[in-house]
Amino acid sequence: MTVIKLDAVSRVFPADPPVEALSDVHLSVARGEYVSIVGASGSGKSTLLNTLGLLDRPTSGSYQLDGVETAGLSDRERTSLRGSRIGFVFQSFHLLSYRSAVDNVAMAELYGSSDRKHRSERASQALEQVGLGHRKDFRPDKLSGGERQRVAIARALLGRPALLLCDEPTGNLDRANTSGVLDLFDELAARGVTLIVITHDEQVSRRAQRRVRIEDGRLCD
Amino acid sequence: MRLIDLGDEALAGVVSRPVRTALTMLGTFIGITTLVITLGVATTAGNQIAGRFDAVSATGVTVTVPTAPHPLVSWSGLSDLLRLNGVHAAASVSEMDPAANPSVRANELHDPNTVTDRSLPVVAATAGLPEVVNGSLALGRFFDNGHVTRHDRVAVLGTTAAKLLGITRVDDQPAVFVNDQAFTVIGVLASSGLDLDHALDASVILPYTAAADRLHIGAPSKVLIRTDLGAAPLIARQAPVALSPNDHAQLQVVAPPDPATLRGGVEHDVNGLFVVLGLVSLVVGAIGIANVTLVTVMERIGEIGLRRALGARRRHIAAQFLVESGTVGLIGGVIGTSAGIVAVVAISALNNWTPVLDLPLAAGAPFAGALVGLLAGLYPALRAATLEPVDALRAGT
Repeated sequence: MTVIKLDAVSRVFPADPPVEALSDVHLSVARGEYVSIVGASGSGKSTLLNTLGLLDRPTSGSYQLDGVETAGLSDRERTSLRGSRIGFVFQSFHLLSYRSAVDNVAMAELYGSSDRKHRSERASQALEQVGLGHRKDFRPDKLSGGERQRVAIARALLGRPALLLCDEPTGNLDRANTSGVLDLFDELAARGVTLIVITHDEQVSRRAQRRVRIEDGRLCD
Repeated sequence: MRLIDLGDEALAGVVSRPVRTALTMLGTFIGITTLVITLGVATTAGNQIAGRFDAVSATGVTVTVPTAPHPLVSWSGLSDLLRLNGVHAAASVSEMDPAANPSVRANELHDPNTVTDRSLPVVAATAGLPEVVNGSLALGRFFDNGHVTRHDRVAVLGTTAAKLLGITRVDDQPAVFVNDQAFTVIGVLASSGLDLDHALDASVILPYTAAADRLHIGAPSKVLIRTDLGAAPLIARQAPVALSPNDHAQLQVVAPPDPATLRGGVEHDVNGLFVVLGLVSLVVGAIGIANVTLVTVMERIGEIGLRRALGARRRHIAAQFLVESGTVGLIGGVIGTSAGIVAVVAISALNNWTPVLDLPLAAGAPFAGALVGLLAGLYPALRAATLEPVDALRAGT
């Protein structure tokens, strides 16, 4: 079962001359795979991430997410697909500093249709999954960088997305915290979570089951 | 997204920055407070002025009878008037033509060195006059119906008239001569009161029967009526018909202004300027909210991007910022209304007034604050909603 299927996807930014950030990209990711996409800055990583995360539309080509063709979807449909199928993990965590860890995690369900009653229980469970059950009432500014990223991962996991999309997840972390987060990724992969990690760091990409390199908007294995 | 979730998120946004929220609220707070105080004090003061007016002048009705070949109103017509519900007291008077003021003097002494003859207004009246004009007696007594029926030649003087004639006591039964007709002075009116007819202070007042006998003073030229509180407009309509059923259209009625109209007028005067002031501070408050919300949107770009990534639609983002600014406005409005009401009560207490609270005003003011907040949040909310999630995520931290 494929979660992601990119077929001849290209993305051209209008400029003079036009910038081709992605050209003729083919990529298919099966359920439960742990894929890293590695590339230098300016190689088209971010554009690929935005395309995969339904934050940007490809100029041409087809993108099927979890069996749904996304090319013809309206803005609203893309938004709800994004909310329900993709969990995002960002380099800068994007946690709300004035909310507790469990509230931050619970935000993932805010725009979906899940019931409100057991939301904080589910959020607590997600925090326990990433080993932060004892920190659930802490505010982000009282947590270490690694712990913050784990809160963000717990938030991304809530609602059982088809895909966990990580953008430089260790970019803001020191070596010890990085290895903690990567261990967590291994655990998640072992549990069957589909993971795509986009990074410029060879060390990080080496931990994935499959590595894809991106150079000048083209993928090479 | 559920409404309750929207409320939770907005409230969390408002509560998370208490100092900023308080400062943002200040403009709305001041505006609403000013408005409530202005309108509240105007209502209270207006009511106060009208209340005083009610108690004294608003119960006095004067019917003026024009001179006609045949008398339009007879002295006995008063009994028909007194039967009307709402008439507290009434008196008819007949004033002599001011141009033909008779000479009045206090004694028969002809002293070439001093002027002893005075030209004073002479008024014929029925017995109930002091009660009608709120007058009291400084000396002696007023004439009663007995004097009237017996055609007694008695007189009551106004304070000024008594002073001019040199009469300082009545127990020795002094006499005054009006056109050489002698009248015994039995009382002197005090100068206070007399609100319906201040001219009485300088007049010689005679029972109408004796005045007709001796001085040929004719039918009543004026009817003074003291009504019950609030009955003045009614009596003003009914009195001419009761007094002169055939010729009521010719009688002129002077009634006090309607208290409601008067109150409205006073409020109008007081309000104008301060309402403008209150509105100006509301506008300033709205600009403050708009400004701060705009800054907040820029500060929270990362959060907006995150929410979009989590599946929030543009309208969810817009709704959240609108509800946040509306909440700030509402809270400012509630506090402002409360402060305004407290101030109105305090001002009333200091002036010994009864505070009058306009209920729609008290209930509506907080919502005016919320409306200001909503309007002010409109532009920032639209800005937030139109942000592209990609840009928002990249810009935010």
